[in-house]
Amino acid sequence: MTTANSPNGRRLTARGAKTRARIVSSAADLMFIQGVSATTLDEVLAASGASKSQLYHHFNGKEELVRAVVELVGQRVMERERDALGNVSTIRGLRRWRDALVQNNAVRHGAYGCALGSLASEVSDHDDLAREALAQLFAEWQGLLADVLRRLQDTGRLPSDASIEQLATGLMAALQGGYVLAQTARDVAPMVTSIDMALAHIESLSPR
Amino acid sequence: MGKQAGRQGKELMKTHFAEVLARESARLAGITDGAKLSCWQRKLVEELMTPDSPYARALRQTGGGSDRAEFLDRWRALIEDAVRELVHRRAMGASDSASGPPDRAAGVDPHRTAVLVLAALHGGSTLSQIAKNSWPLNAALDLALAPFKAPSGPDSGETSCDPNRSVP
Repeated sequence: MTTANSPNGRRLTARGAKTRARIVSSAADLMFIQGVSATTLDEVLAASGASKSQLYHHFNGKEELVRAVVELVGQRVMERERDALGNVSTIRGLRRWRDALVQNNAVRHGAYGCALGSLASEVSDHDDLAREALAQLFAEWQGLLADVLRRLQDTGRLPSDASIEQLATGLMAALQGGYVLAQTARDVAPMVTSIDMALAHIESLSPR
Repeated sequence: MGKQAGRQGKELMKTHFAEVLARESARLAGITDGAKLSCWQRKLVEELMTPDSPYARALRQTGGGSDRAEFLDRWRALIEDAVRELVHRRAMGASDSASGPPDRAAGVDPHRTAVLVLAALHGGSTLSQIAKNSWPLNAALDLALAPFKAPSGPDSGETSCDPNRSVP
């Protein structure tokens, strides 16, 4: 059975794919907790239980592993966000979406931030391929927010001339920046404030 | 060796923090109207989009650290003061000319607005960094500062940022 290709073009067996997935998953967890640059390949080996030769069979080096982490984290976040935002068509629904994100982040006092946002700020200025992948993921995430805003517009809760792209970008920035502020303060309060303020602005545009 | 490099990195970061606070303190204190606010935004975006500026360096690394927490808290306080001053000036101006629509800035909470501005410049920088384009950062700041911006069209301040009168 073949499931994926390794960097040298060799087909992967099911077992090989499983090892690769275990390495990427361990790397993603470590990088989420301690950051990309602080995570060494030795730590990834120790955490995944893989051997050095297994790791180098699948990845040419750390850069390639980081790209695989971006892909995995992207899949996880997008799956979560598609579920959370797919049917939202009210401001109240957006507040519930915010509540869930804050609640998840509060469990750790905001210590680790957004898995995808942290990757974006750490890798995008020295790996162009990873940056492009991240740009695509964020465009998709923001597209989900833009779809919600368009549904608000369709039901008359946003004026027809409101700039959906600008509002979706502003809301995403408030969320991402909120994560960073919470991380620094070790307190989710600034994250709650920043998203609330952005949502309040969107609500204030509603025709009375 | 590693420890020493870490200490040097920490000292360097403190220098960037101090530099940003010094510039922001001067620039934010000069904001007296919407046009000057737009000039501040333009300079801020310029700084954040310049990879080696103290601004970009100060924001690059995230995470805890009491130095960073203090830096962000002081920056937030500077923005908060500027927003409070702007709200005050708008209120004084509005009482002079009683006609016209109600001022959207009147109900602004300076503290919460400052938190949003600080979040917008962080989140907007990340989005602009991955897009290699300043548009997301500007969109984020436009939303955060919306109560002080002209209701439609580009702010009149867009063309009148006088470089001779600006602070370094």
